[in-house]
Amino acid sequence: MKTTRHTFLLTLAIAVLALPAMAAPKKKVLNLFCWSEYVPDSVIKGFTKETGIKVNVENYASNEEMLSKLLVAGSKYDLIQPSEYTIEALAKANKLETLDLSRIPNFKNIGAPFKSLPHDPDNKFSVPWMTGSVGIVINTRKVKDEIKGYADVFSGKYKNRIVVLDDNREMVSWALATLGLGVNDITSENLAKVKPILQGWIPQIKVYNSDSPKTPLANGDVDLGIVWSGEAAILIKEHGEKFKYVLPENAHMFIDSLAIPKGAPNADAAHQFIDYILRPEVSKIISENFPYTNPNMEARKLLPEAQLKNTASYPAGDPKLDTFKDIGKVTKEIDKLVTDLKNK
Amino acid sequence: MQTPLALLQPAHGAARRPGFIGWLLIAPLIAWLVAFVVIPALILLVYSFCQRDELGELVFSFSLENYWRVFGYVHDESGAFAWDPTYLQIFGRSLGCAGLTTILCVLIGYPVAWTLGRAPDSRRNLLLTLVMIPFWTSFLIRTYAWIIILSENGLLNGLLQYSRLISEPFPMLYTPGAVIVGLVYSYLPFMILPIYGSVEKLDNSIVEAALDLGAGPLQAFLNVILPLTRPGVLAGILLVFIPAMGMFAISDLMGGKRVPLIGNVIQDQFSGQARDWPFGSALGMSVVVLFSIAFWLGTRRQPES
Amino acid sequence: MVELRNVTKKFGNFHAIRGVDLNVRAGEFLTLLGPSGCGKTTLLRMISGFDAPTEGSVWLGGEDVTHLPPYRRNVNQVFQSYALFPHLTVEENIGFGLRMQKLPRLEIAGRVQSAIALVSLQGLEARKPGQLSGGQRQRVALARALICQPKVLLLDEPLSALDAKLRHQMQGELKRLQKMLGITFVFVTHDQEEALTMSDRIAVVNQGRIEQLGDSAAIYHAPQTAFVANFIGRANILEANAVGVEGGFIRLRIASGVEVLVPNPNPSPTTSRLVVSIRPEKIHLQSQRPTQENVFEAVVEEELFKGPTHQLEIKTASGLSLSVMAASQSIMQTAFHKGDRVWCAVHPNDIVILRAD
Ligand SMILES: Nc1ncnc2c1ncn2[C@@H]1O[C@H](COP(=O)(O)OP(=O)(O)O)[C@@H](O)[C@H]1O
Ligand SMILES: [Mg+2]
Repeated sequence: MKTTRHTFLLTLAIAVLALPAMAAPKKKVLNLFCWSEYVPDSVIKGFTKETGIKVNVENYASNEEMLSKLLVAGSKYDLIQPSEYTIEALAKANKLETLDLSRIPNFKNIGAPFKSLPHDPDNKFSVPWMTGSVGIVINTRKVKDEIKGYADVFSGKYKNRIVVLDDNREMVSWALATLGLGVNDITSENLAKVKPILQGWIPQIKVYNSDSPKTPLANGDVDLGIVWSGEAAILIKEHGEKFKYVLPENAHMFIDSLAIPKGAPNADAAHQFIDYILRPEVSKIISENFPYTNPNMEARKLLPEAQLKNTASYPAGDPKLDTFKDIGKVTKEIDKLVTDLKNK
Repeated sequence: MQTPLALLQPAHGAARRPGFIGWLLIAPLIAWLVAFVVIPALILLVYSFCQRDELGELVFSFSLENYWRVFGYVHDESGAFAWDPTYLQIFGRSLGCAGLTTILCVLIGYPVAWTLGRAPDSRRNLLLTLVMIPFWTSFLIRTYAWIIILSENGLLNGLLQYSRLISEPFPMLYTPGAVIVGLVYSYLPFMILPIYGSVEKLDNSIVEAALDLGAGPLQAFLNVILPLTRPGVLAGILLVFIPAMGMFAISDLMGGKRVPLIGNVIQDQFSGQARDWPFGSALGMSVVVLFSIAFWLGTRRQPES
Repeated sequence: MVELRNVTKKFGNFHAIRGVDLNVRAGEFLTLLGPSGCGKTTLLRMISGFDAPTEGSVWLGGEDVTHLPPYRRNVNQVFQSYALFPHLTVEENIGFGLRMQKLPRLEIAGRVQSAIALVSLQGLEARKPGQLSGGQRQRVALARALICQPKVLLLDEPLSALDAKLRHQMQGELKRLQKMLGITFVFVTHDQEEALTMSDRIAVVNQGRIEQLGDSAAIYHAPQTAFVANFIGRANILEANAVGVEGGFIRLRIASGVEVLVPNPNPSPTTSRLVVSIRPEKIHLQSQRPTQENVFEAVVEEELFKGPTHQLEIKTASGLSLSVMAASQSIMQTAFHKGDRVWCAVHPNDIVILRAD
């Protein structure tokens, strides 16, 4: 009988808790659709506390997942967090609202290298959240040779000791880089050139992992990898000298941004949120949680010395890096190429 | 031959038609099936004949292109068909992987289920609980636990090195073996429980009768025990094989995602980079059709009674 | 043929069988008779090999089989619940034992046919056990065991699941088969009537012991213990004192004062305090004092009509209460009624001195 009473009490409790939510007048809300583990809880709480706007968070694990859901769910989301090539694709398809920069005064905090980039030349659709590069992490205890570029990783010496991002376009871009071609020079002709290179690389790779490539590195299952700079930064932060980040020649960067999808029901709140996270002291919190490259120059001033010295987050000399452009249907060709090679 | 379907029917097969109350009682089940099985399957079916546009949105047009691709015919540059069995190979590999998992689950699960089913009542509940304990934690956490155990700086390698059985860490994680270990671990309870169900129902005196009539333990097992517990084994095989075929998380996390399995490919079409819903749907439909055929073949020979 | 030597079986701390010695002769029909839970099945299981004795040994045809598994013993069992293989047809069930012996298929087919004929199951060869009646299942179980030509056939309450009429028919058939095939039967039942009609010898089992072993007549007419006397038929169990020896007789004074003569058994009882048994049907009632030994007077206290018999409770002047059974008379002339004074006579040979336990 105890259980029945328990259940009853539980139901009652839920009913009581749910009542005010149902009865309360319509509160202002923001439907945020963002990467998992990318927006600190404290930032969201701070925003709600200040504005009274309730934030509903939904997460995704890849740009592609976000696109799929966005295209199906229509105008359910107010704010999304796409990377540069996805912004371009969405903008081309007229799926993004134009931003009203006059309502985002803190946009001035974004550094010049992160503005007016090819995917959004007029800063009409997106505001950078965090940026980073893709580079090489080395376990210095195991790897004694000098590794400068992608070709060194795949010299054949590290067969079965390599982790790479599980990302076909990334792999193609690395192979292009070794040929001295730009990351966006993707033509059928170039893909044909890339094929034998990847064919040599793929048998050497032990792990494909985009979500947490640091795990096999930290666990000693692989000795070097091509990963997001933020992952490398965490490894360096936790293990110090043991890991080293190398930005290869012809490296590229990604820019994760905030954008408002077409028909967003709460575009006002979305603008408010964008401006809120551009505040130096808020942006600093994000940096502390996720040590990518912060494009917010005012926030950088608040960061501790140690973090600014982490070369994975802030590579020496702030090199100017390429970004991915939308390549449309060629994605399918890349996909087929890599799937074929992996399948061999 | 008994079939898993027989599990769903009354023991003595009195095939009575449900009355009004009967329909009322199964209405929720039917509603559930329609909402979550029939409608999605129909949507998949429609999608599978469509195409995608640049952004990945669906273009409604009828074409068999996706199915050609699944079964190895693709258009080359000149527009002619070319033979490219990539997906068939992936399919075959997944079948092999799921098949091996299923066989291992039967081999490991049967003796366990037998022991459970024959244990005294007092101990049986404890043992059953032990079998089900893994379900108390999330699947992902259990998989991460395996990563902690199998990695080169992990528990097992540490133990082996500490006991001086090996001097260098032995690569265990991110190997095909690790994937099979993960799959068998995850699906073993789904094999044990149905077999346990039929072992428990098996009257001990029937086994004794076999021994009494001169059957040795192996003969008794093959001639009496196995045929009488076959419904449980078949149910277990279905419960293990089908999800093992579609599983992608374990091959991602424990296998390093090195070789694509059909589950990975389908997932990639829906929320991964490929983002080709129509092709993913065609792959999914092909799997469904294949399973249906296999199921039909497996259950075709109904008992006459 | 089957011999149990000082066999004891314990389940945990529970003594199911306590030091049983039993020798089953070749070709005999021996019945283990006893109430439910007394250990009959356990005894059978030790003969067939499903349970190992905690102490003692089991011998089959002069060979110690205590440690042989069931499938190496040339005994077969008919199980209480038949234990037919539900997935096999009648034919396959019956042929199972021969298939296990890997005999040629033709030979199997032939022997199965004759076994089916033996138990009159022709026409049902292709049925599954689920499609048979209780009696038919019983026959399949029997044929399945007999086809192996065992030295000993063990039958654990094989008829208890059948209705009374079928049971009587099967009793006759079993007995006929046993005589015809000459196989040793060890038959278990809790039904004393069944035991009495079918057995060559009966072993009465009580609380893990054999109380008495003997042929039906001996068990019935000369029960050695109160348990046997009570379990088989009904009995008046009375305490008595030996007060003297007169020729070949002992004079007994039954507790409440009635004195009777009984034959002096050999060896003579060693104590004067004895327990005797008198079967109710052995007490003869008359309205006139008969001229014979062991006569006393009593009053009818109660009468019960039981169909073929008429049961009376009587009480002597000295306060001894006894049950008496008489064949029913016709409706018109029932001999005695409540309140009637009657004379009771018991033949000395019908008073049995019981073993003191
Ligand atoms: N496996 C067992 N474990 C414990 N006790 C048992 C077991 N088998 C039988 N017994 C006990 O032994 C006694 C004799 O049982 P059994 O031989 O089955 O009696 P029956 O004369 O009715 O056939 C019973 O009290 C029963 O409870
Ligand atoms: Mg019994």
